[in-house]
Amino acid sequence: MACGLVASNLNLKPGECLRVRGEVAPDAKSFVLNLGKDSNNLCLHFNPRFNAFGDANTIVCNSKDGGAWGAEHREPAFPFQPGSVVEVFFSFDQTDLTIKLPDGHEFKFPNRLNLEAINYVAADGDFKIKCLAFE
Amino acid sequence: MSGELEMTNLHLKPGTTLKIKGRIADGADGFVINLGQGTDKLGLHFNPRFKESTIVCNSRDGSWGKEHRDSHLCFSPGSETKVTLAFHSDEFKVELPDGYELTFPNRLGYSHLSYLSVKGGLQVSSLKLK
Repeated sequence: MACGLVASNLNLKPGECLRVRGEVAPDAKSFVLNLGKDSNNLCLHFNPRFNAFGDANTIVCNSKDGGAWGAEHREPAFPFQPGSVVEVFFSFDQTDLTIKLPDGHEFKFPNRLNLEAINYVAADGDFKIKCLAFE
Repeated sequence: MSGELEMTNLHLKPGTTLKIKGRIADGADGFVINLGQGTDKLGLHFNPRFKESTIVCNSRDGSWGKEHRDSHLCFSPGSETKVTLAFHSDEFKVELPDGYELTFPNRLGYSHLSYLSVKGGLQVSSLKLK
């Protein structure tokens, strides 16, 4: 996967919302949005897989604490299509991250690292960020 | 979100426009938007300074180039603002909130930009790439 955009020093606080809009490549196999403190400390690794690592149309979420992956969570909702523009919303508090998908479906992922701020956002894979907004 | 936003691996090509919206902090002396290929490799350093009523632009390739100053300052502390930066192979065009356009030459001849930072008194609320 091509190395994508990295944003740091965001200082996103609990209750604030991060909106990410971007283009999914026409031949997309997978893309990643990582949120956390830095590349080794991620409160959320958000990885929609169109067709990758043996998964088809599944969102795989995980956390990374001091470089070590946690337990994977698989979300069956998959409102993503190759060759489209999508928008995903992320917010968090001390216990959970809330992810809102393009079709409005929401799910939670535990804030395992208990981060008090999200300072790092990185994109990777078959996805090109067009807009980042902090609300 | 507070200042000092930094973005890397941007892959911006000539023809790309970057629209930055944000709020200028109360009591800010100014702010900085840097575009280039790293902290020390800047095609455009855009720096409105409120006390001097000036916008200073410069380039940096290890050391600073020659400053370009423009007195058209339409920013003020404690307000919402937006700046549109267009990257072209020969120059940068910066559109200010009142529509005034400022140009600065692409002195370092960059054909792609990978780095953006926003410092000082501007708290970014959104960033769009076109």
